[in-house]
Amino acid sequence: MKKKLWDPIFGGIMIGLAIILTFYISGRGLGASGAMTDFAVWIQNAVSPAYTHSSEYFSKYVANGQNPLNDYLVFMGIGIMIGSFLAGKVSKDLKFEVLRGPNISDKGRLGYALVGGALVGFAARLARGCTSGQALVGGAELSVGSWAFMFSIFIGGFAVAYFVRRQWI
Amino acid sequence: MIGPLVKNGIISGGVNTIFAVLIGILFGYALQRSGFTNSRKIASTFYMKDVDVPVVMFTAIVTASIGLWGLSLFGLIDLAKFYFLPSYLLPMIVGGLIFGVGMAVGGFCPGTSLASMVTGKIDAMVFVVGFFLGSLAFGDFYPIWKNFYQSGANGVWRIDQLFNVNVGLAVLLVTLLAVFGSLGMRKLQFKFWGKND
Repeated sequence: MKKKLWDPIFGGIMIGLAIILTFYISGRGLGASGAMTDFAVWIQNAVSPAYTHSSEYFSKYVANGQNPLNDYLVFMGIGIMIGSFLAGKVSKDLKFEVLRGPNISDKGRLGYALVGGALVGFAARLARGCTSGQALVGGAELSVGSWAFMFSIFIGGFAVAYFVRRQWI
Repeated sequence: MIGPLVKNGIISGGVNTIFAVLIGILFGYALQRSGFTNSRKIASTFYMKDVDVPVVMFTAIVTASIGLWGLSLFGLIDLAKFYFLPSYLLPMIVGGLIFGVGMAVGGFCPGTSLASMVTGKIDAMVFVVGFFLGSLAFGDFYPIWKNFYQSGANGVWRIDQLFNVNVGLAVLLVTLLAVFGSLGMRKLQFKFWGKND
């Protein structure tokens, strides 16, 4: 039996505290998408260093022989995975499974997950951050661009929800 | 001890890195315990079927906003040493729209996909692979959207500057928006889907 979830207000306060701590200790916000892009660039650089070094956007990740994984956000990403694994363990929610609505196959759901992931991966770079580093942190910093980003996420999601309802509802 | 600790030389870069892992653990733990490793729960937001996700987000923003502003009032943190995110209005709006479409289609955002992947959710693992591909596509075809990406550089642009009010009032405005936004969305959830879910 899975453990009951936290009250959303309590969960929000805990995440808010995590943001306050990153600022108090490091003077910057938390984030998730940066670490994931670092990892993708690290793989690409292992496959083809020449290609990565010639890229106008990615060359800065590997300039002067630096390792893209040597980044604050990568350490934070490792922490996110440790924390979630521990929480999954205590709440008995560690299980290999595909989560989906009743009207779609596992394969269909995984196809959507791949396409959605690619769109989010692209958009996080275009918007210079994701729901963590841009929406939550920028939102707390009162950044106009971050608030515009967050409202746009909701508009984009609501606009397309009807067309993918088979997957979820 | 006045923050930011690392920028004021109170802790070293190495210790700062250890804190990055520890803060990540708190963040990841809270994401999982809030139900954010479940793609169905996240996607339910876009059907107003379960609005816990925006309620958590709004609460986190308000907590952090009031907390940081409060710490600065008491002189415990030096805002001048903060990294404030610059605004690029149009790329952020277009990025947000694509991001929202991707979330409704994929069921995750980056942080939640990382958190979900390690609890064994296979849809999260596939989402992460998709993220790598999309992210690499952005960088590898960068010349195509470079001009758009760099357009509309507004620098550090905050709500207090936008409305020409002091920071405290802007924090209050954001708090009210978050509280009424949360209550309104919860009301719509109950209206469309009933109270038993």
